[in-house]
Amino acid sequence: MKARTLSVWAARRALGAALTVLVATVVVYGALRLVPGDPVVALSAGRRLTPEQIEALRHRHGLDRGFLQGYLSWIGGVLRLDLGTSLNYQTSVMSLITGRLGVSGLLILYSATLAAALGTAVALVSAVRGGVADRIASVLAAAATATPTFVASIALLALFSIGLGWFPATGAGTGPADRLWHLTLPAVAMAIAAFGVLARVGNAAFAEQLGREHVVAARSRGVGTAAVIRRHVVRNALAPLLTVVGVLVASLFVGTAVVETAFGLDGVGSLLVTSVSRRDFPVVQGIALIGIALFVVVNTLVDLVLPLIDPRVTAGGPRR
Amino acid sequence: MTLTIPALRARGAARRRPRRPLGLVLAAAFLSLVVLTAVLAPVLAPHSPEATDLLNSLAPPGTEGHWLGTDSTGRDVLSRLMHGARLSLLAPLGVVLLSGVLGTAVGLLAARAGGWVDAVLTRAMDIVFAFPSLLLAMLVVAVFGPGLAAPVCALAVAYTPFLGRVVRSMALQEGARPYMESYRVMGFGEWWVTLRHLLPNVAPVILAQGTLSFGYALVDLASLSYLGLGVRPPEADWGSMISQAQSAILQGQPWSGLIPGIAVLLTVVSVNVLGEHLSGSIARRQGETR
Amino acid sequence: MNVLDIAGLRLSVGDVPLLADVTVRVGRAETVGLVGESGSGKSLTSRAALGMFPRGARVTGHVTAAGVDVLAAGRGALRDLRRTRAAMVFQDPRASINPVRRVGDYLTEGLRASGVPAREAAARALDLLDQVGIRDPGRAVRRHPHEFSGGMLQRVVIAGALAAEPDLLLADEPTTALDVTTQAEVVALLKRLQRDRGTGMLFVTHDLDLAAAVCDRVYVMYAGRVVEEAPSAGLFRAPAHPYTRALLEASPSARGERAEIRAIRGRPRSLAEAPSGCSFRDRCPLADDACARKVPDIRPHGTSLVACLRPQEVTP
Repeated sequence: MKARTLSVWAARRALGAALTVLVATVVVYGALRLVPGDPVVALSAGRRLTPEQIEALRHRHGLDRGFLQGYLSWIGGVLRLDLGTSLNYQTSVMSLITGRLGVSGLLILYSATLAAALGTAVALVSAVRGGVADRIASVLAAAATATPTFVASIALLALFSIGLGWFPATGAGTGPADRLWHLTLPAVAMAIAAFGVLARVGNAAFAEQLGREHVVAARSRGVGTAAVIRRHVVRNALAPLLTVVGVLVASLFVGTAVVETAFGLDGVGSLLVTSVSRRDFPVVQGIALIGIALFVVVNTLVDLVLPLIDPRVTAGGPRR
Repeated sequence: MTLTIPALRARGAARRRPRRPLGLVLAAAFLSLVVLTAVLAPVLAPHSPEATDLLNSLAPPGTEGHWLGTDSTGRDVLSRLMHGARLSLLAPLGVVLLSGVLGTAVGLLAARAGGWVDAVLTRAMDIVFAFPSLLLAMLVVAVFGPGLAAPVCALAVAYTPFLGRVVRSMALQEGARPYMESYRVMGFGEWWVTLRHLLPNVAPVILAQGTLSFGYALVDLASLSYLGLGVRPPEADWGSMISQAQSAILQGQPWSGLIPGIAVLLTVVSVNVLGEHLSGSIARRQGETR
Repeated sequence: MNVLDIAGLRLSVGDVPLLADVTVRVGRAETVGLVGESGSGKSLTSRAALGMFPRGARVTGHVTAAGVDVLAAGRGALRDLRRTRAAMVFQDPRASINPVRRVGDYLTEGLRASGVPAREAAARALDLLDQVGIRDPGRAVRRHPHEFSGGMLQRVVIAGALAAEPDLLLADEPTTALDVTTQAEVVALLKRLQRDRGTGMLFVTHDLDLAAAVCDRVYVMYAGRVVEEAPSAGLFRAPAHPYTRALLEASPSARGERAEIRAIRGRPRSLAEAPSGCSFRDRCPLADDACARKVPDIRPHGTSLVACLRPQEVTP
């Protein structure tokens, strides 16, 4: 009975995720059809093309067919991991993206780790300590939440690489250690807002658990403070925190566009910015799809992990 | 035998106290100042925002005649900041108004219609939620070319689920309360009851969410301009000012970029403080009546 | 020797006094009731036995629980007291067990903390569940709290409280959150386990009838003070404090002797809002000017010890 409700629940989640991705692909493909005037003009990205080339482009993007047929031929290509050819770089979109995924992936992972570690730590200390520590942490978190990534980028750039010279201003570096060093400022810039969000959500979640009777009851049984915090406070607050981390990862993906531009990094984000401004449609479509797929996959994974953390999720009971 | 307990760690109820209004006062004062200078920029600005003076480029703040210095082409940063405030505030306002209308309509429709309409709208909001707002904005810039009109519409759509979900759940809650039932029993039409009695009840929530959305929209639109995908020159907002200051920053002259950055930061902080105060007081009022 | 000895306990948070001069004793194998309305300080008193005070509390007096001087004890000694010598059963089992951990984990946590090896603790858990009447303990330890009914869950909490074989059991409204039939079962279980093991039990409740049925002796609290102490039988037959008598008259009884139910006028007071002199005087039908002068001393009357100037007018 219990295993069945769990699997039914998981299946529904997966189905919802698949539906979201399906609709997203329709939107991303349909965007091309919305281009005012002849979409080929946008696709040619300002270049002069021969009539044969125009025909080839039309055919490649299914513009010579109805919407559905055009979509089906495009999505067929996407499923074969063929995202088309960049008009700007004249190479396959897939190879353009995969070649830059290393830098951007590391950047996302780096900043997510920073934000999660510091955010939960600050949240826990401020919730447990209370008083002045709590006050300071809440102001800090509110300020961090409101700091736009591009403002953080230029401020860090001005202070730590140009002013103090501690970190390089541009480039992604070579070799693992050098790369981490180069990516530190960009990762911090991206992590600031996420840190703020996690510190606030975490503080609220921890404080709520600390006030719960089961925590009082655990203390009444002589469970030590460290064990109470680890086994009852942190463990119970994990579910809301994980949900927030899931949502934040997708916003970090878009954040790479800003920090990679600010710090002159050659990654997926800066590729997106270049492609949008040059209206290199196949690349924009490819990156948008990856961004949405990342959001859906991460959040579905989080959803599937939640019942392991809080068994009441599938039982239809209240969360937390 | 006397014992004083040092701060024991169980808290919870105590932190729900209304916050001291000092932050609120500062936020409101700052926002009023920003709005006022934006409105009166043509009168107040000491220079034309377009007047270049290459001999006086990259002057630091505090320079005589240029309180906040000049940028790399010698334009007065203060004047540009004041003029830039107009677009920086107007565009997010457009997002808020559009998403307010959309979100309210979708939320009310979903709650009152129920059934498959509700199911479809709720699922649609989940799907929109999967598009990070800045990504959606960039997608429409790729379609329509740079400019603010398309991103404003795109962001309005991207923010719709935030308000739509809240309005839907509030409308469901309110709709289930006895006074709503009594109106129905009296023979008033469903939509009349919704617009006449439900809407005023969810209005404070719409206002609070709208305020918070304003902050997000300001950041998203400024980011877009920073990336060179937003406003087109000669028009300028704070984001494009920072974008133009990028090379000066790399040359060790960060002020013309930091100042608009600080303006964005302070405005967003103030808006957030205001929005959180609004939603906080709504939550407290609901706590009292329920 | 008493397993719980609270004498002259005063407690205040900031400027707000919550308990004044509370004295409560529980002997070995004795069941003692602590009865009062909400805000009377009965839960504060029972928690004081474990050294659990509200944040910022100022405490004076003497509290000795299972031989440990609670107010003088350090962190380690308090933890040791809570792990091995005294245990508490809370009102709502749903709130007092961590909902995301398994029931087996709840039962073994305290044992493991006091150094019992994992395998032995697990075996103890099964044995305890069996003792509190939970069928198929092997399956129960692997389940989560939301899969149990309220009554069954309170049995789990009781099993957890007994895990350490405490000398003192504090039951804080253990049946209030349960429905009536389950209440009787849980009370019977508590009583049986307490008798079998010779544990001293402090039974906190707002229900005077229940207290009289379960307990050997009863303390009645009002506004942060103990106003009457008496053997259960005597309390019922001849209440000596006007408040006790009002409580008895206000509670519907199945026995049918007191057909008329009389509500107590006014609302319950906390110590901070109580009037000068006798705290109950603004609600008492017998009160006069003398009652306002000072807090009445506790003195014997019949089988009771009572803090009232004219107990003879309550029970002639």
